[in-house]
Amino acid sequence: MNSRAIPAGLVLCLLLVIVIAPLAGLLNLGAMPGFEPGDLQFWRSTYIRRVLSFSLWQALLSTLCSVLPAILVARAFALQPSFPLRGFLLRLFALPLVVPAVVAVMGVVSVYGSDGWLPLGRSLYGLGGILLAHVFFNLPLAVRLLLPHWQAIPRHHWQLAEQLDMNAWQRWRFLEWPALREGLPGVMLLVFMLCLTSFAVVLTLGGGPKSTTLEVAIYQSLRFDFDPTRAVVLASLQLGLCLMFAGLTLKLQRLPEVEITVDVAARADKPAVRPLQLLLIGLAAIYVSMPLLSMLVDALGGPFASVILNSALWQSMANTLFIGLSAALLSVLAGWYLLHYSASLALSGQRGRARLVELAGSIVYVVPPLVIGTGMFVLLSPHVDVFGWVYPIVIAVNALMGLPFVIRSLGPALRQNHARYDLLCQSLALRGWSRFRYLEWPLLRRPLGLATALVAALAMGDLGVIALFGTPDTATLTLLIYQQLGAYLIPHATVTALLLLLLCLAVFWLLERGIGGRTNA
Amino acid sequence: MYLFLRSCLVAFLALLLVSGAQAAVPTLTVYTYDSFTSDWGPGPQVKKAFEAQCGCKLELLGLEDGVSILNRLKLEGDNTRADLVLGIDTNLTAEARATGLFEAHGLSFESSSLPQPWADDTFLPYDYGYFAFVYNRERLRTPPSSLRQLVEDENGPTILVQDPRTSTPGLGLLLWVKKVYGDQAAAAWARLSKRIVTVSKGWSEAYGLFLKNEADMVLSYTTSPAYHMIAEQDQRFAAAHFSEGHYQQIEVAGMLRGSQQQSLARDFLEFMLSERFQTIIPTTNWMYPAALAKDRLPPEFSQLIDPSPALLFDDKQVAAQRKIWVDEWLEVMSR
Repeated sequence: MNSRAIPAGLVLCLLLVIVIAPLAGLLNLGAMPGFEPGDLQFWRSTYIRRVLSFSLWQALLSTLCSVLPAILVARAFALQPSFPLRGFLLRLFALPLVVPAVVAVMGVVSVYGSDGWLPLGRSLYGLGGILLAHVFFNLPLAVRLLLPHWQAIPRHHWQLAEQLDMNAWQRWRFLEWPALREGLPGVMLLVFMLCLTSFAVVLTLGGGPKSTTLEVAIYQSLRFDFDPTRAVVLASLQLGLCLMFAGLTLKLQRLPEVEITVDVAARADKPAVRPLQLLLIGLAAIYVSMPLLSMLVDALGGPFASVILNSALWQSMANTLFIGLSAALLSVLAGWYLLHYSASLALSGQRGRARLVELAGSIVYVVPPLVIGTGMFVLLSPHVDVFGWVYPIVIAVNALMGLPFVIRSLGPALRQNHARYDLLCQSLALRGWSRFRYLEWPLLRRPLGLATALVAALAMGDLGVIALFGTPDTATLTLLIYQQLGAYLIPHATVTALLLLLLCLAVFWLLERGIGGRTNA
Repeated sequence: MYLFLRSCLVAFLALLLVSGAQAAVPTLTVYTYDSFTSDWGPGPQVKKAFEAQCGCKLELLGLEDGVSILNRLKLEGDNTRADLVLGIDTNLTAEARATGLFEAHGLSFESSSLPQPWADDTFLPYDYGYFAFVYNRERLRTPPSSLRQLVEDENGPTILVQDPRTSTPGLGLLLWVKKVYGDQAAAAWARLSKRIVTVSKGWSEAYGLFLKNEADMVLSYTTSPAYHMIAEQDQRFAAAHFSEGHYQQIEVAGMLRGSQQQSLARDFLEFMLSERFQTIIPTTNWMYPAALAKDRLPPEFSQLIDPSPALLFDDKQVAAQRKIWVDEWLEVMSR
């Protein structure tokens, strides 16, 4: 019997409670007097149909435009394991994820706007602008998540390929594609979810209500309309879309047959420098860094002194760090147990259930934080003073939102670890802590580092929940940026945004190095 | 996990502290929006000034905006912690009144500097403003002189507006167009939509894009240029004067029926209408104070356009029609 089934069960129950309970709370609220549940036939209206098809269309396109190039770029990174700036570029690729949406929009506009470096004029606003921004967010993320799959290809496979004199296409066909196939569907699902739930980007760069996504409709129903029932129905619809997409992509997934080998050194021996691959990396790097660079340029001329001398900045910075680190720890812990459970299920032949467990962990992402937060509020407020619970709630929700990232970055390595060493561990009676200490830590610390760093950075850049609860002294840097923007202090906001980015970069670097060890990703 | 537990503990201790402090001096809890409580908003000065005179603690809790405040009240009902609410506007007062949570203020309001008489016995205004299209004088030489001209001139300026489903100024423009065009509003939006560069989620995004020169004009307030004049010594920005008048937004406060601190809440409302509070408003909230003589405003305010006549729908009418009007807008703009 698996000793990890119990904590994993706990995590699953917790997930269920955190997601289902608020939805139930909202439904219950919507049925109370004072709330006229709007016309529940609304989902048949042309408006909702249009919203549905647009949400799906833009998310699909954004996913393809982000992930397909990301495969090429990740491959180039994998086959070029040493060139100047490689480590820096990979760390840079984690940054777009943490840029608050409104700041990213400004960055994209600085580059492609009418006064920008590559002016696109009015055509920026529409599907084109949405894609530009979504690719900026998700291409680098996908690169980071796909890269480890190349590194998991054992060295002797590459050697064998060389001996057999395989050409690039054959290597791709017989070595790389099979390795990639394990993780690609999951990464696509994650990117799809991120694009499906994207909000400020879609609304601002979309050019108008033609580009309305489900997320906007949900937000609308929880604000001016305040119709909780409708919000729950729409959120479920969004969940359904994601499940559909998950069903499609998981069909593509093949878990690799893992052979028992101790050789996990992970790169091609003598990589030939290929100008084309370097060019590809260069293009991707330029694409990703341009909006970031424009933010830097904007900020450098900004009022640094007055931003830094403000005591609110330091308080927010401390809060941001606290929330980011707590959420990362919690999320990685939950993901760890979930993944172990899923991996042991898979090994005992229950692949379907293994996938379900993983899916449960990933898919909660698409229930909007606004819905979860409002639902939690409904449940908690009769019993406790919610203002005193802001931190725990914000941390819990952020940990939840980080879970899919943990599953994507840690999952494949952990599954391999199980497949390779379970028998060995059994014969050595290596269990629990000692298994972690001697086997899992040395082999999994790199993906663990990536997972922790990703979630920490993500939680640090999050606005969703904290703005919802709001208290006098729990501002985070993101909230501070929005407050500054709201008070005409746009130069101040760009400086704060730069500081947030630097903080995220530092935390990312420290976590990835500290946990993951010195080897470059 | 440890950090999480610790944060629970910290939250719990903080709670104890708060309730401990409550026993010593009375606390007045006010729900407001977070640009009011932020360092650059009126909050810090208001708190200091009021606490100096009341012998109490003023707790300002900042939510996202007026809509969030109202929704929070609806969620909490009678259990709300708030003694007072500050920051909903006249588009929401009818709905707020309908919750039955508010108490009559019982104050007379003689010092009003509003352009119209005020007869609401539940809510009292603290500031007001007018929506307007702001432009950069150096980039747009001849701004339209009326809303009709803006809508109907095919070669007119490009504009940035906000979404009425998510933002207060966005809703303001919707009502403005309705006021001027009535039944023809849908057709007006159809004509205007060709020159709308984008419809943003909130004011910040649109204004930020405007400062990046993405369009000739942005929907904001007549008082926006005052910020640039006073805080940045920048004279380039101006609001276009529209001959039909400008749609008005009045921000109000009201006390709650279930409050244990009713007399303190009334004291605060009185303080809110006093000169001390009112003089804080112009350069922190960048709005017109609701009870301050014109000559007490910063001199730069005299350079702003005269937005009269003020256009405003009755709050009950807004409550009844808003959904229908927003749907009508959606229909046109989604084509």
